[in-house]
Amino acid sequence: MRVKKLLVLCVSAVLAGSMLLAGCSKKEESKTDESLQYVKDNKELILGLDASFPPMGFTDKDQKIVGFDIDMAKEVTKRMGIKLKLQPINWDSKDQELQGKTIDCIWNGLTYSEDRAKEMLCSESYMDNHQVMLVPEKSKIKSLKDIKKQQVGVQKGSTAADAVDKTEELKNAKIVYFGNNVEILNDLGNGCDAAVMDEVVAKYYAKKDPGKFKILNDNLSTEKYVIGFRTGDEKLKTEVENQLKDMKKDGTLAKISKKWFGEDLTTIK
Amino acid sequence: MIDSIIQWFEKLPGIADMLLHNGLDQTLIIFFLTLVFGLTLGLVLALGRMTRFKIIQLPVRFYLLIMRGTPLILQLYGFYFGLNLLLGIRIERTMAAVVAFSLNYAAYFAEIYRSGIQAIPNGQYEAAKVLGFSKAQTFFKIILPQVVKIILPPMGSECMTLVKDTSLAHVIGVMEIYVVAANNMSRSRGMEYLIVAGIFYLIMNMIVSKVFGILEKRMSYYR
Amino acid sequence: MSVLSVTNLQKNFGKLKVLKDISFQINDGEIVTIIGSSGSGKSTLLRCMNQLEKVTKGTIEINGHTLVSMNGDTPEYASKEVQKKILMETGFVFQNFNLFPHYSVLRNVMEAPVQVAGIPKEEAREKAFGLLRKLGLEEKADAYPCELSGGQSQRVSIARALALEPKILFFDEPTSALDPELTGEVLKVIKSLADLNMTMVIVTHEMAFAKEISDRVIFMDQGVIVEDAAPEDVFNSANERTREFLGKYHDIA
Repeated sequence: MRVKKLLVLCVSAVLAGSMLLAGCSKKEESKTDESLQYVKDNKELILGLDASFPPMGFTDKDQKIVGFDIDMAKEVTKRMGIKLKLQPINWDSKDQELQGKTIDCIWNGLTYSEDRAKEMLCSESYMDNHQVMLVPEKSKIKSLKDIKKQQVGVQKGSTAADAVDKTEELKNAKIVYFGNNVEILNDLGNGCDAAVMDEVVAKYYAKKDPGKFKILNDNLSTEKYVIGFRTGDEKLKTEVENQLKDMKKDGTLAKISKKWFGEDLTTIK
Repeated sequence: MIDSIIQWFEKLPGIADMLLHNGLDQTLIIFFLTLVFGLTLGLVLALGRMTRFKIIQLPVRFYLLIMRGTPLILQLYGFYFGLNLLLGIRIERTMAAVVAFSLNYAAYFAEIYRSGIQAIPNGQYEAAKVLGFSKAQTFFKIILPQVVKIILPPMGSECMTLVKDTSLAHVIGVMEIYVVAANNMSRSRGMEYLIVAGIFYLIMNMIVSKVFGILEKRMSYYR
Repeated sequence: MSVLSVTNLQKNFGKLKVLKDISFQINDGEIVTIIGSSGSGKSTLLRCMNQLEKVTKGTIEINGHTLVSMNGDTPEYASKEVQKKILMETGFVFQNFNLFPHYSVLRNVMEAPVQVAGIPKEEAREKAFGLLRKLGLEEKADAYPCELSGGQSQRVSIARALALEPKILFFDEPTSALDPELTGEVLKVIKSLADLNMTMVIVTHEMAFAKEISDRVIFMDQGVIVEDAAPEDVFNSANERTREFLGKYHDIA
């Protein structure tokens, strides 16, 4: 009998919980923008990244998260007088992470697109991003025009995939979608004849395995890297942008860029 | 050629050591806590599933259908993002994974319990009844110990699945060994991280398999 | 003095009337066997008295406790406490033994005294040993039920039923599941209990045994008691149904 009573209790708790879940709607966010105060109160900026996007943000041999974006963000938060917390996330759920306030920004080689601008607040661009084509070192493909019906690998859901869709020269090519860039590179030369990805990433891997593949000269498209904030977090966005402008002026940004790319690629004015 | 193979193998112990210190703790926390909560909740659910009272049985059946009928990966999203965005309940990532895994595995465990409980002959209940055992005593002293013996093989199998399923926790940002290995692969471009992660899962399951083997042997004193 | 009294007992399974208006009494120390063909309702009668089935109608009194009585048209059962008390004061031996397979022989016998009657473990162990010794199962105390022969299993289940020191012992076809050569040892044990003045109600197909051991024989057919008399009267009955039933058994002359 006691077992039954316990059961009734458990089940009613579950029922009550689910009713609550169905009945409650999303709480109305207050209209005033307290985003800057919010991170200052928390004394930290939580940066969301997928920690597998070299050289912007990735896991190094000592299992520390490093990269160009990370160095920039560290300097920005230092100047703001708060800490930087790096939070690895699943890239597919970056919007939910932002909305749920489990992270404060996406700063991980995020390419601007109109669709993204609907989901989050995008900062001014800090760097150009070219979509480039990679081919095996000995490939006969010299330019985009040489692509007929060959296989071209891209990361699914990436802006590289969008760029491939919009490129006239590739309309007959067979597009193969992969989960990440490493998978594409492993396949390049075996299955795929060419690959399309962000230039900075392509350069990173080309340097890592010299003599294996080359980057073609013609770009598919030129896009912009931005920082993604929660919709409405204007004050926080402006503060970060201002800090980056100061860093550009005093040469800090150039220094960080040279460390990762050998030259100043930043486009902040 | 030989040299490069040797070189490749020489990398593995370092990677194993790295994974031991990064990610393994998360994997083990999810595994063990899911076992504790899942096995307990599973028993309650099994009893609820078997009761004559429709007011309890029907919701439990619905629960079992939802939990077993939808992908675990979606339930993980639901428990982490759903609760947060809908109700503003923010659970720590690993704990959210533990909750989602426990609720999901409890459903599978419940059905395994049920299969075991229903395999016990009615004569056992009758013998306990005429001796004056209460319902609770009958269940815990007479029925459950026999159920344990019957359900050990399917439970062992389910636990091995759980070991592998812990890798799904990365979708809500839990840094378990699979995603740690994958992140390292992005840097190094080498498959060796994934291979070592695979070996880790294999070793964990060899241990699970061994433990269940020992338990089954212990229960083999009667038929 | 009556230790068991059944009045106007009816039991239906759905539309099927298994017991139709059964009444009888059993006195202290009496040994009563119930005979009848399969489906005559004799096992159901035994199960009603041991709370394994709920009666449809009727009154049952055991050891001065009322298990069930009629309140108007519906049967009314005693409280849980009284029900448990009655169960503890009666013993039941199943056709299929129903020993607990995960417990040793000793633990099968001592578990109810410890769990149900709250007797200290040491005391219960001593008593259980004593019972096993009496039934010639001493060296099987640490064995598990799967290691026993059918006859040994049934003797253990008798020991288990005796462990609570019941006032009445019920047997539901105690030898039906046994090979013919094993029935003897079980019947011997039951006879030895008769010598101790134990009140027993035995459902059986062993006619020679019934004739030999019983103070009274009840013959049931199609849910009613056809005869309730001394064994010699039943076995020499002029009743048509009784003669027809007994004619199927060759072991009685």
